[in-house]
Amino acid sequence: MALSDGPDLTPSPPSVGGRRPRRRIMPMVVLALVLVSGGVIITQALSTAVDYYCNVDEVGVRSGCDEGRRLRLQGTVAEGSVVTGTAATMFDIEFNGESVPVEYEGEPGGIFRECLPVVVHGVFDQSTGLFLGDRVEVKHSEEYVAVNDERLTEAEAMACQPSA
Amino acid sequence: MTTISPQRAEISSLPRGTGTRATRIIGIATIVMIAWLALFGLVLSPADRDQGDSVRIMYVHVPSVWLAYLAFIVTAVCSAIHLFGKRHSLGVDRIAGASAEIGVVFMAVTLATGMLWGRITWGVYWQWDARLTTTALLFVSYIGYLAVRGLDGTQQQRARRSAVIGLLVVLEIPLVHWSVRLWRSLHQEATVLGTDLDVSLDGLMLFSLFVGVIAFTLLFLWLVLHRSRTLTMIDLVGDRELDRAVIARRAEGGIDHA
Amino acid sequence: MRDAGFIFGSYLITLGAIGAFAWRTIRVGRRLADEVAEEDKPWR
Repeated sequence: MALSDGPDLTPSPPSVGGRRPRRRIMPMVVLALVLVSGGVIITQALSTAVDYYCNVDEVGVRSGCDEGRRLRLQGTVAEGSVVTGTAATMFDIEFNGESVPVEYEGEPGGIFRECLPVVVHGVFDQSTGLFLGDRVEVKHSEEYVAVNDERLTEAEAMACQPSA
Repeated sequence: MTTISPQRAEISSLPRGTGTRATRIIGIATIVMIAWLALFGLVLSPADRDQGDSVRIMYVHVPSVWLAYLAFIVTAVCSAIHLFGKRHSLGVDRIAGASAEIGVVFMAVTLATGMLWGRITWGVYWQWDARLTTTALLFVSYIGYLAVRGLDGTQQQRARRSAVIGLLVVLEIPLVHWSVRLWRSLHQEATVLGTDLDVSLDGLMLFSLFVGVIAFTLLFLWLVLHRSRTLTMIDLVGDRELDRAVIARRAEGGIDHA
Repeated sequence: MRDAGFIFGSYLITLGAIGAFAWRTIRVGRRLADEVAEEDKPWR
């Protein structure tokens, strides 16, 4: 018990409350951890954001979306373009009329398939113009449609608009 | 632990502990709604065209994040009432604390279910993008808020400190909600609370989501009532122990202090 | 059902976390209610 100023001889009325009998360490430890993890979260986010997030049609147009650097490229997987090889998967991604061929080492995870918007992490092969992806994320839309919905045919017809 | 006062003769019809008739009714309604949520979310609602059955995670993920927001807003409102009210009421401070605790639980659920959903649909558990990063910050901020509530000090000090923090960290919520619009994000934009009123959700899907929101709102109400009453008793017992410590020190005649 | 483990897992995590918090709240509340006098429980 480290009460340096001696006992407080004025009893407080119960409803007001007074100094706690013992110093509690846990809240301070938690608070320190919170500050550290807050810093980690921000630095992690900022360091990942170094890879510019670009739409396919912005490559070489928007500042930061240069062909020579690592990018996160967003586009829709073109209809009928997916070729699954032994070591790599090839497909085109499109956005706003522009198209980029992608080579991805391995099998993309998630719900990857044609006509879905994806984000590919990688770099351009300067000689061939091929985008060499090392990570594919499927960005699903905020629209939800039931599988056996009568709107399904209509939705499916609209799904791959860019390639039409 | 010694019994501070002999228990009064049973008020037999009332539930034990922090319960009342109201909490009992809310509790039963909560259980019924959660059963409905499981039924509609897992069985009756249809699978999604693109996402398949993984869309079912939405019915727990989205209501839990909304309730976390609601809990943190309740904390902020109670913080404001404490700070700017004439009475500087400790009662509202305890509601603020109880609500923040529940919000942190809902936030943890949101992050966990979101990671599972992300693994299925995006292919990754975590991605440092705008929505996920700001959500993680919000979660950590409220753990910090709870830690501040646990610091040494009087109950009035605790209430004042945490009220200031409660009013500051609530400002992160709009940042989280609109982060998908402010920055490019892997996360989809809001479906129901989007800017256009046209809800892009199938009827039965929307109903399942609605069931989830009702279930979690009732749950929040039930938890806040119980937890704030418990916090009241924790403060009371803390006061009693403090009084006893002061009396004990008086009896020692102050010999103990160095 | 594809990814059934993930889907049921998310429901189980949700119910587990909420259930654990609710159970702890009730338990602490009952223990304290036995220590505190009836007149100090304004909700009674």
